[in-house]
Amino acid sequence: MIGGMSRIVRTMTTLIFGFILVYGFYVIAHGHISPGGGFQGGAIVASAFALLLVTYGTDQIQSYLSKDLLSILESTGLVLFITFAFLGLGATFFYNFVSNSGGLFGSPTTIGVNPGDLNTGGTIALMNMAVGLEVLAALGVIVLTMSVAAETIQKKEKQ
Amino acid sequence: MKKPVFFIAFIFFLAFMVLAAIGMRPFGEPSISNMDDYFIENAQAETAANNVVTTIVFDYRGFDTLGEGTVLFTAVVGIVALFREVAK
Amino acid sequence: MSPLISITHIVILVIMITAAFLAVVLRDLLSSVIALAAASLLLALEYYLLHAPDVAIAEAGIGAALTMAIYIFAIRATKK
Repeated sequence: MIGGMSRIVRTMTTLIFGFILVYGFYVIAHGHISPGGGFQGGAIVASAFALLLVTYGTDQIQSYLSKDLLSILESTGLVLFITFAFLGLGATFFYNFVSNSGGLFGSPTTIGVNPGDLNTGGTIALMNMAVGLEVLAALGVIVLTMSVAAETIQKKEKQ
Repeated sequence: MKKPVFFIAFIFFLAFMVLAAIGMRPFGEPSISNMDDYFIENAQAETAANNVVTTIVFDYRGFDTLGEGTVLFTAVVGIVALFREVAK
Repeated sequence: MSPLISITHIVILVIMITAAFLAVVLRDLLSSVIALAAASLLLALEYYLLHAPDVAIAEAGIGAALTMAIYIFAIRATKK
């Protein structure tokens, strides 16, 4: 079991992995018009990483998923989130200064039940992306660290 | 010796749970709904986003999300510090 | 609520309790973890039926997938 799981599980993982990633990034990007958001989409992307680690074992995946890169991404997401919060300080902390201003993510939405437009939401869409980046990197670091620790303990016991 | 104590405690717990279930309000009818009505009526016009839940999480109650991000960051720092000897 | 929806709620809750009971009773650790993940997925379905899709997505992602992965890593680190 140390080198991963059976051939059936590995084939299904290679088929399904890309679809899970695309769905996670879709949930992050459409957080302001459909159910979901940064936290949920980041959790879906991190579950794709967990699937990869469970299936293939740590040794083959460690060259693709770097812990240092994920740590940097996590800090970047949190700093971006606080930056967007501080940029609204013309009025208040966490003021939505982009919405209804006409620029990127700034067009107003139709009132009532409607399918929605991606170019709305103001800082909500930007904060969704920042929080999504943070959550996917944080949960990825947690899963990767625990997987590396588990394999190390198993190797030590085999000796 | 121990069993009657556990049994009496279980009866009390069950009685409280049943009483709470009987006294529960009908689904979807909170006692005070001023804040909910305000969010449902004005969220689309004020923040220009269709998903009202995301509007509350990232705009009206942004501090909550900031705290959640901080908690996640602290959890990652704790786990990396805990496993740094093992994963070497 | 229509009677069909109520019956669906009751069936899902009964299967959830069965899965949680199996997670406690089963001797094999991997089977126990899979029963726990099944209970978590059914909880996500219940959230969706109660019109909370945001919570349902979070529960399915964290409760079912990530928790199960971490349990599997813990089982890998232990001796049979």
